[in-house]
Amino acid sequence: MKKIFRRTFLNVMGAAGAAGALAACGGSSSGSGAAAGGASAAAGGDVTIRITWWGGQSRHEYTQQLLDKYTELNPSVHFQATPSGWDGYFEKLATDTATGGMADIVQMDYMYISTYAKNGSLADLSSYSSDGTLDTSTIDEALLGSGTIDGKLVGIPLASTLLAFIYNPSVLEEAGVEPPRNGWTWDDFKSICLTVKETTGKYGFGGSAFIDTNLLNYWVRQYGVPLFAADNKSLGFDDQQILTDYFQLWKDLIDAGAAPNPDEYEQIATLGNEASPVITGDAAFHQSWDNFANIGANAGNDTLELLVPPVKEAGQAALWYKPGMFFSVAETSEIKEECARFIDWFVNSDEANDIIMGERGTPASSSARDYLVGSGKLRGKQAEMFNFATEAADYCGETPAPDPTGISEINTYFKDIAYSVFYGQATPAEAAAQFYEQANSVLAANN
Amino acid sequence: MVGQKSTKAQSVFFHIFSCLLGFIMVYPLLWLLMSSFKSNDTMFHNAWSLIPEKWAAVTNYLSGFEGVAGIPFWRFFANSAIVTVVSVVGSIFCSLLAAYALSRLKFKGSGFWFGCVVMTMMIPSQVMVVPQYIILKHLGLSDTLVSMTLPWVFGHGFFIFLIAQYMRGIPRDLDEAAMLDGCSKAGILFKIMIPIVKPAIVTASIFAFYWIWQDFFQPLIFVSSPENYTIPLALNLYLDPNSYNNYGGLFAMSVVSLLPVIVVFILFQKYIVEGIATDGIKG
Amino acid sequence: MFTAKAAAAPRHKRRGGSDLRTGYLLLAPWLFGFVFMYLVPAVMSIYYSFTNYNLLSAPDWVGLDNYIQIFTQDQNFRQAMSVTFRYVFIMVPLRLAFALFVATLLNKKHMGMAFYRVLYYIPSIVGGSIAVSVVWKQIFGNKGVLMSLLEVFGIEQKFSLLGNPDTALFVIILMGVWQFGSCMLVFLSGLKQIPQSLYESASMDGASRFTQFWKITMPMLTPTIFFNLIQQIINGFRVFTESYVITDGGPMNSTLTYVLYLYRSAFANFHMGYSCALAWILVAIIGLATLLLFKSQRAWVHYEG
Repeated sequence: MKKIFRRTFLNVMGAAGAAGALAACGGSSSGSGAAAGGASAAAGGDVTIRITWWGGQSRHEYTQQLLDKYTELNPSVHFQATPSGWDGYFEKLATDTATGGMADIVQMDYMYISTYAKNGSLADLSSYSSDGTLDTSTIDEALLGSGTIDGKLVGIPLASTLLAFIYNPSVLEEAGVEPPRNGWTWDDFKSICLTVKETTGKYGFGGSAFIDTNLLNYWVRQYGVPLFAADNKSLGFDDQQILTDYFQLWKDLIDAGAAPNPDEYEQIATLGNEASPVITGDAAFHQSWDNFANIGANAGNDTLELLVPPVKEAGQAALWYKPGMFFSVAETSEIKEECARFIDWFVNSDEANDIIMGERGTPASSSARDYLVGSGKLRGKQAEMFNFATEAADYCGETPAPDPTGISEINTYFKDIAYSVFYGQATPAEAAAQFYEQANSVLAANN
Repeated sequence: MVGQKSTKAQSVFFHIFSCLLGFIMVYPLLWLLMSSFKSNDTMFHNAWSLIPEKWAAVTNYLSGFEGVAGIPFWRFFANSAIVTVVSVVGSIFCSLLAAYALSRLKFKGSGFWFGCVVMTMMIPSQVMVVPQYIILKHLGLSDTLVSMTLPWVFGHGFFIFLIAQYMRGIPRDLDEAAMLDGCSKAGILFKIMIPIVKPAIVTASIFAFYWIWQDFFQPLIFVSSPENYTIPLALNLYLDPNSYNNYGGLFAMSVVSLLPVIVVFILFQKYIVEGIATDGIKG
Repeated sequence: MFTAKAAAAPRHKRRGGSDLRTGYLLLAPWLFGFVFMYLVPAVMSIYYSFTNYNLLSAPDWVGLDNYIQIFTQDQNFRQAMSVTFRYVFIMVPLRLAFALFVATLLNKKHMGMAFYRVLYYIPSIVGGSIAVSVVWKQIFGNKGVLMSLLEVFGIEQKFSLLGNPDTALFVIILMGVWQFGSCMLVFLSGLKQIPQSLYESASMDGASRFTQFWKITMPMLTPTIFFNLIQQIINGFRVFTESYVITDGGPMNSTLTYVLYLYRSAFANFHMGYSCALAWILVAIIGLATLLLFKSQRAWVHYEG
């Protein structure tokens, strides 16, 4: 229960999800629910699957229901569940792995999956995928690719998510600015932010672009280069000007008071998502993930709208569908096939998705999305998110490889170096050079 | 200075000062208490404010007591209570024995072992927990309530040091007089030492209770089944920074979880400061 | 590491022989726990400190590499050291002084003493909780209570003590001082052990309260002060929760305490071997500081008997 207010957007998960976002890329939707019936037959005798996940109260409730449901359908399969909060989840997972006691099925984060995969802790599920035990044909290839490391399928993505900008219509109205539309540029963004500051005194942008490297990743991709090189041993580009421009943009906004300076941001971050300035009506824009409008609605503001992040030039496709979280199976597990069967049911079946209702994010499986859309059970903001994700398809390119080992060190450097710019201790160009050097040395040491 | 009479003016000044200071001290707890009465959607509107904008006390406490992941809150409470009581009793008793041996008996190696006691206080637990867990696994004790008591129940460096330090302050003539009366070494400990070092024992017990009750990291690593979770682990289940959280329920249960610690302190603190026959022992 | 003379063994000459059997019998429960929960894990972690160990794969022997890297290349190590030393040297004396001050205040026969004791102990109870995290940021942030107060006095400065690298550690230190409750309890029980008769005879001799404090209270309290000092220095070097909860080491590593750094190395960056090396360097430093204090006891700590 310690650090919760600080750990804001480390990774992506859905408080609620939308369905059908990836309709364009989906495969066939066969196999929904079909696997459930036959799950236990092959095993011969009872098995107990140990499973662990992180989440909040509601996720624990319905995941437990899911497990009970599966046991009801397959009486020979039992579960030993270890639910956890976000804090401590990976500390515990690492310790369990160290003692050879990793749970059979673990909910895995994008940030750590390559570290675990590289150390041989995660089972390769490709054989279960090819023999149909675990139907992955419903999952978009790029998304599935993010769970494939060194040619091994080590994580089945459960959900996908998108970087999004969020705006508060009433603040824009107060500033006399027309709400921007998808396809807006960084120049539009900057000038609206400055206008909002001048006319209303409120923040143009109420968040931070330095919590992690996701937005930077998007920024860099707009120059047609990846953030990390294919071998993960260095950054994927040579032109430090790309970084300089990024630091300069945010420095200008902060200097003008149109975005919170580090002091102010830390203050804002204390209270978590629920009290973000964009939700409380103290800022026009915020940057987060596509579930943010939903968080806003739960926190008492159901007017927030989503936008695709600004572009450098028209016609770019630098955005990507990011895997929300994975299910991985432990290499040490002796019941991998049973695990694969359960994951298939979890990802593809109607029964499971009826219970999950997109809580872990927009379902990765097209059959699950189709089912949820067809069921008509989605609520207001979830339906809007569905529209958003469909519109965003035009702006989406390939999903980049999972974050390299050492990413949390890089994120720390990134934030510290950015802050040195905002405190006036370094120029954007100096900071760019410094980050370039630090990131490369971390990458070289870890990969 | 003890028991000297103060003038009225001094007394008034004292109370004003103490109350002001006390308010600063207790503000976060007040905040927690009042926040546990706020509704989730207004929780952070004026986060610093103590007065709820919209009351939701009943909802928050009811949802809290329902528990998490199908396990009612009282179960976590019971786990914490069992682990804490067993650990505190064991820890204080074993520490008392060790403290007496190390501070008042003369035997070879006592200095070395005292060094070890102090040493155990220095090692950051963050690097001990993985090896400890490996040992617990080999002993087949991982994921049990017993495992959470093990780091404490055989005594703890801090308590040994605290009690030993008190025992050193007691005149040796006392032991010798008792020996002449035919008291054994163990007899001296139980008949003479314990009554005298009662404040130290109570102090150590208060600390032990609080430390074990709120310990998060060791239980996190040692235990995997929610049926065995203690309160700090259960409270952590409420929180996921990327989704919408039931802060109302969380704060309500945080308040409930602090009650035993405060009650224990209120009940025990008076033994620190009264009823000890210190007069006449010294001087 | 502590000789019998410096630390534990009674210095008093005694009749009779050694208490070897009774001694080890009484020590046995602790020894048992010590071997399983401390000694073996400690040996294992010393071993890890000579390996490249990421928890996920088996440890890989690298000799002194971790230690060499720490001392020659690691910027964060230097930063963490500097933060931690500043924390210990400022926080510990302040906390001890404050705890002693309040303890003497509460050691009088006033109405409602128990009530105040509870009030003052409460910060030590709520220490690492979310409530504290939120409230402290609310007080010391740029729109916080403190800045609102300054505004009343005409100082209108948008400035956050917590957000500023030059002042953030100050807030962490203040939080440490604020949690003086346990220190105070130890002092209180120490004060209660001082025989009343000493003060009575001093009063009859016409000694002022101030003189009584310096001539009776302080000397009689030195074993307690010694205990608190050792305890606070050990815990001060291991400070973790405050910066973990409030600043997470930031801004710009200005509150990166040593244990926070080694925690991060082990569990966020998967360098358990390196982290163990960091831990044993810390143990050596604390051990040295403690040893010096034990050696110094003779000069200022008064034991009875």
